[in-house]
Amino acid sequence: MTATGTDPHNVDGQAICITVFSAVKGWGKLWLPAVFLVARYRPGATGKLAKLSFIHFARWTLVREIAGKRLRHPQLFFESNFNGGWQEYIDAFSHILTGGMKTFWGSSYGFPEPLPTGPFKRYIQRHELVASHFYSAYPEATTTIVLSALALDGELRALRERTRDVDPVTFAREWDAFLEKVQADL
Amino acid sequence: MSADVSGQAFALTVLTPIADGQADALRGYLERLRDGGSRGPLARLPRTHFGRWVIVPGFVADGEREPDQLTTPQLLFTACFDGKLDSYLTELATELAAEADEIWGRCAGCPRPATGAALKAYLMAHRIKTGFFVAAYGKATVPEVRAALAQREQLIAFAREAQEMDDATRRSEFAARFGS
Repeated sequence: MTATGTDPHNVDGQAICITVFSAVKGWGKLWLPAVFLVARYRPGATGKLAKLSFIHFARWTLVREIAGKRLRHPQLFFESNFNGGWQEYIDAFSHILTGGMKTFWGSSYGFPEPLPTGPFKRYIQRHELVASHFYSAYPEATTTIVLSALALDGELRALRERTRDVDPVTFAREWDAFLEKVQADL
Repeated sequence: MSADVSGQAFALTVLTPIADGQADALRGYLERLRDGGSRGPLARLPRTHFGRWVIVPGFVADGEREPDQLTTPQLLFTACFDGKLDSYLTELATELAAEADEIWGRCAGCPRPATGAALKAYLMAHRIKTGFFVAAYGKATVPEVRAALAQREQLIAFAREAQEMDDATRRSEFAARFGS
C-alpha cells in the first residue's frame, strides 16, 4: 500500500510521519508517567502494538515545560513513523488498541472514545502538525518488508552453514526446504 | 534501560523557540531541503533511521481552562537513530554544519554559527526525554537494515532464476552470490 491520506510533507516514499500534541488534564501528570513505566517494563505490554505491523518507530512523551517555562497543562507529544494510509493507520489503532488508546490519551482534553473512529480521526486531525521536512533512511521499505528482510538474513546464514560442503543434490533439497520456510518473507 | 532507548535505537526529541519573525523563513528553508530530488541533510547522518523537523505554531485548545499560549513558535526536531546520543549529536553538529546554521540559527538563544560543541550544548539543553518508545526492529542498525533489504532483493531474484537451473548450477550460483 502506498502512503496516502496526509500532507505530502509528511511522506517520504512509503513512510508517513504523524506528529500530535494534546493538552493533558491534571491527573494525567501522574497517570502518564506511570503508564509509560508499566508499558516499558511489563512483558507483553507492547504485544498489541507489535500487531500493528506497519509501525517502524513510535513514541509518547509528556512535555511539562517549554524553553524553561512550565506549562499549565502539560502536552502529550506523540509521533509515529509508519507506512500505508493515514486513515487505515488510525482505524487500526482504534480497533486493535482500543484499550491502549484510552490509557494513553484518556487524560487528554477533548479526547473522544477511540470508537467509532470518525470523532477520533477528527480529534487527531485537529491536533496534528504537518512536518516541514521528513526523512526515512529506507523510504521504499515497509515495516513488514524490513522485518522480512531481517528474518531472511538469519535464515540465509543458517542455510549457508548447513550447505557449506554439501553436494548439489543435497543443496537442492536444503534449498527447497529453505524456500518453503521463508516463502512468507520473500 | 533508558526510556529513550529500544534495542539499540535512540529516540531524540528537541524543542527550541524560533526567533521572532523567523518562522516563515525557517519553514520555507526546511520545505526546500528536498528540492531537486535531494534526500536532505539527514541522509548524511548514516545512523538516522527517521527524522523530522516540525514547526509548532501553538497548541490546540480543547476545553481546558486557561490554555497555554506559546510566546513564540517552536521548532520540533526528532530522530530515531542508532547508538549513543552524545556521539550522534557530535556527528550532527559537524556534518550538518551548513544546514544547522540555517535551521537552529533561526532559533532564540542558539549560538552563531550554529555548529560544533556550541550547537550540541544548545540541543542538549532543549532536549525532552522520551516517555515510551517502541521500535519494530530496534536491534537493527541502519546499515544492517539496508544490507538486509538489498540481500532480500538479491534472494528474490535468485529464487526466480534458480527455478530454471540444474542442481549443479544452482549450487555454484548460490555460492557465488551469497557465499558458501
